Amino acid sequence: MSAKDKKIMVIGGGIAGLTAAWELSRFNIDVELIEKTPFLGGYAIQYCCKATDECRQCGACTVEAMLKNVVNEPKIKVHLATEVEKINNSGRFSVDLKKSSYKPDLSTEGVIRGYSKNNSPLHVIVDKEKCEGNPDAVPEGAVELDTMGFSGKFDVDAVILASGFKPFDAEQKGTYGYKKFPNVVTGMDLERIIRENATVVRPSDGKTAQKIAFIQCVGSRDERLGHLWCSQVCCPYALRMAEIIKHKNADAEITVFYMDIQNVGKDYAGFYEKCKTEFRFVRNIPVDVFPMENDSLSMRYMNEEDGLCINEEFDLVVLSVGIVPGPDNSNLSDLFDVGLNEDGFFTGIDKLNSTSTLKDGIFLAGTVAGPKDIAASMAHAGQAASEVIKHLGVS
Amino acid sequence: MTDMKHTGMEEINIATDVLVLGGGLTGIKAASEIAGSGYKVILVEKDPELGSQKGPESLIGLEEEYKGLQDLEDKIKTDSNVEILTQASLVSAAGVTGDFTARLSKGEEVIEHNVGAIVVATDFATGALNEKYGLSPADNVLTQSQMDELLASEADKEKLANKTVAFLVGLGQEGNPLVLERVLRSVLALQEIDGCDVYIYAGELKVASNGLERMYKESREKGAVYFKLTEKPEIIENGKTISFFDTVARRDIEILPDFIVVEEELRADQLNEEIAEILRINVGPSGFLQNDNVHFFPVRSNREGIFVAGSTREISGLPSAWTDVENIAVEVRDLLGDGKKSVAKNKAVVDETKCVICLTCYRCCPHGAIYWGDKKAIISPVACQGCGICASECPMDAIQIGGFDDGAMNEEVKNGVVSGNGMPRIIAFCCQNSGFEAGEMADIFKMQVPDGLRMIKVPCAGKIDLDYILNAFVAGADGVMVMACHPGNCKSENGNTYAQWRVNDAYRMLEEVGLEKDRLCFVGTASNMGSGFSSIVVDMEKRINELGLSPLK
Repeated sequence: MSAKDKKIMVIGGGIAGLTAAWELSRFNIDVELIEKTPFLGGYAIQYCCKATDECRQCGACTVEAMLKNVVNEPKIKVHLATEVEKINNSGRFSVDLKKSSYKPDLSTEGVIRGYSKNNSPLHVIVDKEKCEGNPDAVPEGAVELDTMGFSGKFDVDAVILASGFKPFDAEQKGTYGYKKFPNVVTGMDLERIIRENATVVRPSDGKTAQKIAFIQCVGSRDERLGHLWCSQVCCPYALRMAEIIKHKNADAEITVFYMDIQNVGKDYAGFYEKCKTEFRFVRNIPVDVFPMENDSLSMRYMNEEDGLCINEEFDLVVLSVGIVPGPDNSNLSDLFDVGLNEDGFFTGIDKLNSTSTLKDGIFLAGTVAGPKDIAASMAHAGQAASEVIKHLGVS
Repeated sequence: MTDMKHTGMEEINIATDVLVLGGGLTGIKAASEIAGSGYKVILVEKDPELGSQKGPESLIGLEEEYKGLQDLEDKIKTDSNVEILTQASLVSAAGVTGDFTARLSKGEEVIEHNVGAIVVATDFATGALNEKYGLSPADNVLTQSQMDELLASEADKEKLANKTVAFLVGLGQEGNPLVLERVLRSVLALQEIDGCDVYIYAGELKVASNGLERMYKESREKGAVYFKLTEKPEIIENGKTISFFDTVARRDIEILPDFIVVEEELRADQLNEEIAEILRINVGPSGFLQNDNVHFFPVRSNREGIFVAGSTREISGLPSAWTDVENIAVEVRDLLGDGKKSVAKNKAVVDETKCVICLTCYRCCPHGAIYWGDKKAIISPVACQGCGICASECPMDAIQIGGFDDGAMNEEVKNGVVSGNGMPRIIAFCCQNSGFEAGEMADIFKMQVPDGLRMIKVPCAGKIDLDYILNAFVAGADGVMVMACHPGNCKSENGNTYAQWRVNDAYRMLEEVGLEKDRLCFVGTASNMGSGFSSIVVDMEKRINELGLSPLK
């Protein structure tokens, strides 16, 4: 059958959705790409490059490249600030779309900017009142959020759910003082700090941090939260960012509090050995963070050698937050009648085919189906595209 | 070959048969998917048997999927689109993507096949780590594979009733989730046996795979005891006693196990190296066949049309091998299509009057895209990625890259040195995959960039001739920058290395003419780091300001 009349809807414009859409477009298949925020790229487009004097294989640059592919591909129609309202399955899927309920953080400026130069529009006005009386506040080409979003309907032959994940909300672990103490940041915050400044600075004073602690498994492998999974990405991003800090400032003292360090990259044993010579690893997860003078922070942990408790001060504490199911999973599960697993992620029909679902014509790509890094999300999206092509019978 | 006039494109015919190396489950799946897309597949296996008989370790945890795998195996044997060659191996592979000539040996016979693409699907091998723990093989000392075998037999299982079993994992190697999954599955199976007590001595628990944390928790709830250590416990009398100092309880803890189970390492197939040599693809970390380069992930090799699946490229269980195979199916479809391919005519053009067939290009092409005829080197338009490393390395200047020919590049250099009011004039040669993208980002995001900076786009830093750099100085540039991808991130693998060498050559020449070294720099940049680009170019301008304008002006 020809690909000419085939149309696929991809829900979610993060790295998995972008990849799935682009892979399908290579076969002349029309794609409707739905993204609920005003920007494509999801979380992955916000990550910094983690190269020191060599590439560390984080894959952040591949997200930028994929976004560029997608925005230049006429077979892919992008609908920003849009979400699915209704879906009707009668052979093909008849989809009703509406303007999304996306609301930016209240604390933001009147205008928000995309994370990539390939975002179009690059600037979105989210609060006109905040911009009033200040013409400089509104860059050229900025679009009002109120005017964005697509209401309407179309028919598609299959749907790929690629709505992604949510970074764990560190405020749920109240004793770490996230958002109370300025120098307690999450891994996600640190990604943005490095991407904006090309170096690591303390939020409180913009100065270089000298003594830095990374706390692993924040929100992951946590029985009390019922999060019985390893997020798979936090050890890699934490150690890679710690390497950047050390590379920029050889005197920086870095401590990593951990349970079990997970492998980073293909040459994981060599990389970990290198990290061990540069950072201090403490196999203990501190519970409390206390504020000190100059916005420094104190933490209490047990010393493995003598079993005694130690109080130690740090300039900056990084909470390595993990991956939790996306906020739309339960809604999407209802809309598409595809079940979630006990952790709240979608699952495929079996372990080998993790992109097809029990529902004919509905497929999964990326972290919507459980924790994955960038490379794994892209590979999963490629697998989903392959299954879709088979489903359509395109030759 | 049909010319498609006025378009700069031509259509060529390519072979659409596909060679799959490795008849394990991954190879079978690859053959099945590719045959399913309508291409003929030649599946080559060195052993007499195909499939699940070959690597039972890879079946771990796939009880529910096992039936489907058997069906797949049966199906492939009767698929008329799949030719199976067992007890066979690859002898040589000439040519390029779309037109490989593979010679296969089977017994005395040598079979030749013309194929468009090649898939490598070898399995991982297991290796005992007893020596790492100072343990010799004995009735009470088992490898993980031996434990798997015991647990697979109902009769043998009974021997484990009322026994104490100790596992050693993550202390003899760094390990990975698949190693841990094998241990966790054995532990859970032992817990089904009456009176069986299980202790696990573990280094780092590599739980970074779906479901492992839950299995870890389940086994603990059922009574398994995990000792998480940073060094090996003391093992006495070949495993009769295991002892270590517990830092929390502040005392020695001693266990007398009936059986001690030693973790195994999972390593690359020993055939990999030979295959890599024949196919001219790179061997990455630990003998797996893929460079540690994000642009190759998931399934590409350094050569177009040669793909790597599953445990060929890294240790992987069948679920991720399946993901790889589906990605390969998409790639193969896209590459081979209906056997007709439209390619750019001027991607890389060899001038017959200049080429002396010295084969410098053949040797330096990272994509294995070059071969030679009677009169000149030939660059395959299907395999060529247009990086231009060959063009810059060619001692006869016989190769030109479409859109980046030397005349146009030097013109751009000359025009790039703009006259300014005493501000430093900086020429930045930027790889289109990194420096150029970052520069555009800095510009669009209104980050600080010197007024006298001009970016010149190149397809890869490997296309930056020594001449371009020197010409920029001759034209009056006060500073020249080479902005490449970071080492390990070059899409053409070592284009940035060539660029670094040429910059080093240029340093020597600058020294000879008495120009300061600081006027030239080589930096790694990333496409998504406009801030990094900005800080690098601002620093460069500062350095030039300290040196003053170029005396060559």
